[in-house]
Amino acid sequence: MFEIQSVSKVFPGVRALDEVSMHLRPGEIHGLIGENGAGKSTLIKIITGLHRPDGGRLLLDGVELHLTSPRAAIKAGIGAVHQERNLIPRFTIAENMLLERLPARMGVVNAAALKQEALHWLRKLNLSLDPAMEVARLSVAQAQLVEIAKALTLESRILLLDEPTASITPAEAEHLFTIFRALRDQGVALLFVSHKLEEIFSLCDHLTVLRDGKAVVVDQEIATLDRDQVLTAMIGRAQTITDLPPRVVDTKQVVLEGRELSTAQGHRQVNFSLHRGEILGLYGLVGAGRSELARALIGLEPITAGSILVNGRRATPRGVRQAKQKYQIGYVTENRKEEGLFLILDVATNVAATVWERLSRFLGLIPRRAERQLARTYVDRLGIKVSSVSQQVGTLSGGNQQKVSLAKWLAADCAILIIDEPTIGIDIRTKDEFHQVIWQLASEGKSILLISSDMPEMIHLADRILVMNDMQMVGEMHNSRNYDEMSQAIIQTIHAHPGRTAEVVQEARHV
Amino acid sequence: MKLRLFLRMRSVARVDWLALLVLIIVGALGLSLWQSRFDSSYNMYVLLRSISVVIIVGFAQMVVLAVGELNLSVGALGGFVAVVLGMMLEVWHLPLPLAILLALATGLLAGLLNGLLIAWSGINGFIITLATSSAFTGMSLGLTQSIPFYQLPASFTQFGESAFGPLPYVLFVTLLVSLLLAGLLGKTVLGRQLLAVGGNRAAAELSGISLKRSLVWVHSISGLLVAVAAILGTAQLGSAQPSIGADWVLTSFAVPIIGGTALLGGSVSVIGTFLAAMVIALMNNGLILIQADPYWVQFLLGILILGSVGLGQVRVAWRDWWRKRGKEEKKSYV
Amino acid sequence: MMDSKQSGQSRIFSGWRIFSPSTLLRVSPQVGLLLVNIVLWVIFGLVSGGFLSSFNLFTLGRDIALFTAIGLAQMIAISMGEMNLSVGAIGGVAAIFAGWLMQVLGVPILPAAILAVLLGAGMGWFNGWLVVHTNINSFIVTLAMASVYTGLLLIISKAQAFSNLPLGFINFGQASIGFFSLIIFLVLVMVVLLIVLYRNSELGRWMLAVGANRRAAQFSGIPVGRTLQIGHALSGLLAGLAGVLFAARLASALPSIGVDWVLPSFLAPVLGGTVLSGGVVSVVGTLLGGMLVESITNGLNLLQVNNFWVLFFQGIILLLAVLLDRLRAVVAQRKGGSKR
Repeated sequence: MFEIQSVSKVFPGVRALDEVSMHLRPGEIHGLIGENGAGKSTLIKIITGLHRPDGGRLLLDGVELHLTSPRAAIKAGIGAVHQERNLIPRFTIAENMLLERLPARMGVVNAAALKQEALHWLRKLNLSLDPAMEVARLSVAQAQLVEIAKALTLESRILLLDEPTASITPAEAEHLFTIFRALRDQGVALLFVSHKLEEIFSLCDHLTVLRDGKAVVVDQEIATLDRDQVLTAMIGRAQTITDLPPRVVDTKQVVLEGRELSTAQGHRQVNFSLHRGEILGLYGLVGAGRSELARALIGLEPITAGSILVNGRRATPRGVRQAKQKYQIGYVTENRKEEGLFLILDVATNVAATVWERLSRFLGLIPRRAERQLARTYVDRLGIKVSSVSQQVGTLSGGNQQKVSLAKWLAADCAILIIDEPTIGIDIRTKDEFHQVIWQLASEGKSILLISSDMPEMIHLADRILVMNDMQMVGEMHNSRNYDEMSQAIIQTIHAHPGRTAEVVQEARHV
Repeated sequence: MKLRLFLRMRSVARVDWLALLVLIIVGALGLSLWQSRFDSSYNMYVLLRSISVVIIVGFAQMVVLAVGELNLSVGALGGFVAVVLGMMLEVWHLPLPLAILLALATGLLAGLLNGLLIAWSGINGFIITLATSSAFTGMSLGLTQSIPFYQLPASFTQFGESAFGPLPYVLFVTLLVSLLLAGLLGKTVLGRQLLAVGGNRAAAELSGISLKRSLVWVHSISGLLVAVAAILGTAQLGSAQPSIGADWVLTSFAVPIIGGTALLGGSVSVIGTFLAAMVIALMNNGLILIQADPYWVQFLLGILILGSVGLGQVRVAWRDWWRKRGKEEKKSYV
Repeated sequence: MMDSKQSGQSRIFSGWRIFSPSTLLRVSPQVGLLLVNIVLWVIFGLVSGGFLSSFNLFTLGRDIALFTAIGLAQMIAISMGEMNLSVGAIGGVAAIFAGWLMQVLGVPILPAAILAVLLGAGMGWFNGWLVVHTNINSFIVTLAMASVYTGLLLIISKAQAFSNLPLGFINFGQASIGFFSLIIFLVLVMVVLLIVLYRNSELGRWMLAVGANRRAAQFSGIPVGRTLQIGHALSGLLAGLAGVLFAARLASALPSIGVDWVLPSFLAPVLGGTVLSGGVVSVVGTLLGGMLVESITNGLNLLQVNNFWVLFFQGIILLLAVLLDRLRAVVAQRKGGSKR
């Protein structure tokens, strides 16, 4: 019914989607899985009309679709429930559901008809929600249900669900799945996007796996796959890698240590230690809590128990500035556009942002020349492609932007660097350049905590790998640099510790 | 049962006007006990007269705030409409009903202009209405040479002064406008669409509601409301002054904000705006009765605005904290 | 508001002018402004004999300086992505305070002026404190505080004006070197200091970073709260200075000073290329913007155009300026300039 034919999408410097094909049949739940940067969100944006494909096409019942806007997609019968809520908070459930066609007489809303119709659709999904209830007071799960009901009122034949279980309890997830199955039985085609293997396996009929913009598993029947196969497909084999010169890690000097750390975010008793000159990998699937841990380490998230030690001494960082100045810890954020860069400012300013006090001379003034020189040093060192250091960062390609983001922290010359997902959505060559830089930093004596969901990258770079799942440290292993061996070990570790979901289900039963 | 009802009323928006109502009752009681003149019919009349115009000015800003926008031209436009009205009555000797109609049209068109400029250019309403406010003021001053129009028909000025006991006629106009506005925003498709845009712009657009169209509508309605306020104000004053809207801008924000209208849009409270105007009028009245400096009004108004926004934030923070303590797992949508 | 320049131009270069050929749309706003100014002066000079007279140039220069001073106060707030709607209120308070010090307490001119300016800085600092600690946006805070400041001023001073100011102060307002008013020099000093602030100082960098992307500033270790506080204090300082200068020009400290400053305070910076959303300033542009507006006002006055229409024109100019800027942004985007 709904066919995605050889769809490609190219952004400056990156091929986000490379001839991806997929097929959705009515009355099926089709899973779509892939790691960060695999192309899932780009594909979703194309299906929902936000982006236009650069190659390939979308067909519905054999007719080519030209989705010029999200509205067009909705009109074509493609409904979506995204990760962010798309509801009007102060409106009732009924109003939200029927916002597009409020029943009215001469411009005045017919309250009775509104309620009736809303109830009709709610009953179709077997939902016992009160249509007069304000959406703002619903739980996330209930709000999602309202969005699904809304998609039904628009006669969606295809329903795209983007990580629907991200913020709900397992009990609520089960309820949601019952509804999905009911919809499937009614003939709707559901596209279920998730990174949680258990859910994919319990819910979906078919599966497509994306990796690096390509569909590596297409329309496979779930029954013919097992978990390890899927994980391997997601994670992929190592590509040919540049040989990196050997390094020595000083295993006696512990520069950063976490002891029994618990945070307000939900981390419990996290233990780790980072040695001088070491690249310590922190691996985990999306939602494992790695970035949150990193933020806790620099003081942006509150720590509820345990302690952080820097160079053996108790540390209480209270923010990026203090972490940098007092403890020499730098944090290269994963979200470069929102948190890492000043898009409207030039490269020189961006790079020097962490070190202005160092550049100041007479009367505390900073010569522009010093800034530019500093920036040029890093432009050369990292191979950033710019016409000049006065170029606006917003005009650079993704890979170059990320380099600027890293350059900023290199300039700060921190002894400890926490690097969060450095190569998401970046082309292979730049990825390789990044890897060399990180390696080089470590051999110069810097200690690096590398957060990444890119398995080959992790195994390529890390000396030791910590595995996190669901806010807990579930494994720690030395990296043999043998790809098959390591990827297996990591996958098995994650499997052996499915996380607190088991505990939570217990709690839910008692509520 | 009663507890459940009470708890349900404790959602964020509704508590606002409950608190205001309490404040009004306490204030009124206090004033009547403390100042004997408060209870006099005349004082009531003065009080109610003063809120009549203020409420509508508040509404003019409220509708724009509803979509998350601002209208800085409420004062200047008010003066302009008053001047146009005065000109039509004194200089061109147009019949009163026609003049009023044209004055309303002027306000509507001016608002429409604001809306079109904002929608078409995509520029922030702040700057656009700042610019047009200057243009309107300039025009009013230019047209009148700063001399107000005093020759207004007696029927008009009489209406502005007459009352039904302590209830001025203009108050009835205000009440009518309030009801119409509440009806528009609460019950009509257009009104719901406008509030949808304010509540979640992206979601509204996905449901086919045009942002541009909504901007034009709210600004037009805002202009129309300003015109109503200007006409009522002129009737009250007995003369058409270009300075009629001089302090309307601050008031136009104070009233909805204190009344609980969210600054980011999507949530308006007609009742809250009404009550907030009463609070301000009571404060004003009280100050007059105790013969305090009239300048205290400005000072207290600023404090009130900050206080109510601050209080709103405190309340949100308290609610989050309370929820975190109570139920760990249940994350709510908001 | 979107940034509007061609790609590859550094926008912290508040003093630099990039020469490009042809249309007004592709020329940097500062050069465009300068050109328009020159053309305007030529036209007015030809059409109205008195425009280029030394007396008129003196008045014009002084008015430009005052207008620019107000604009600079707002520019500082805008640079951080904030706004200061209390510039007028602070100016008025500073003016009256200075007047009171000089006339009633007999404080000598310079200390009185300095104290008044410091009071302005203090009021700005308080605005900043509120913004940082209550998380309420600067629009509401400064709108409300404007009311509070003005209210307090009127309550305390009972709307009294101070017209018996020391001779030295009055003379300062009237003094000139050639046909340049002394006030111009003072404002030019401010302009130079601000250029240095934004080009070369750490604080200036912080302010622009906070304006460009507050979150990224936080994540780069920039002390956002402190920056906002100091920025608001500076804005208040300049507003206070403008108030004192106004009193000098008027030769009396009137409570009406500052009453209509809000529009002009935005006009000069926006015309000059300072971006409303923050992160990009042009100090010279603000000066040129002030020059343009006052030149038009002055010229129109000389041509016997009604004074009241001035306000009207200012509004229209602002409108045209932002529309032009918007057009410029669209053109730049179409040329594949800014990628977001």
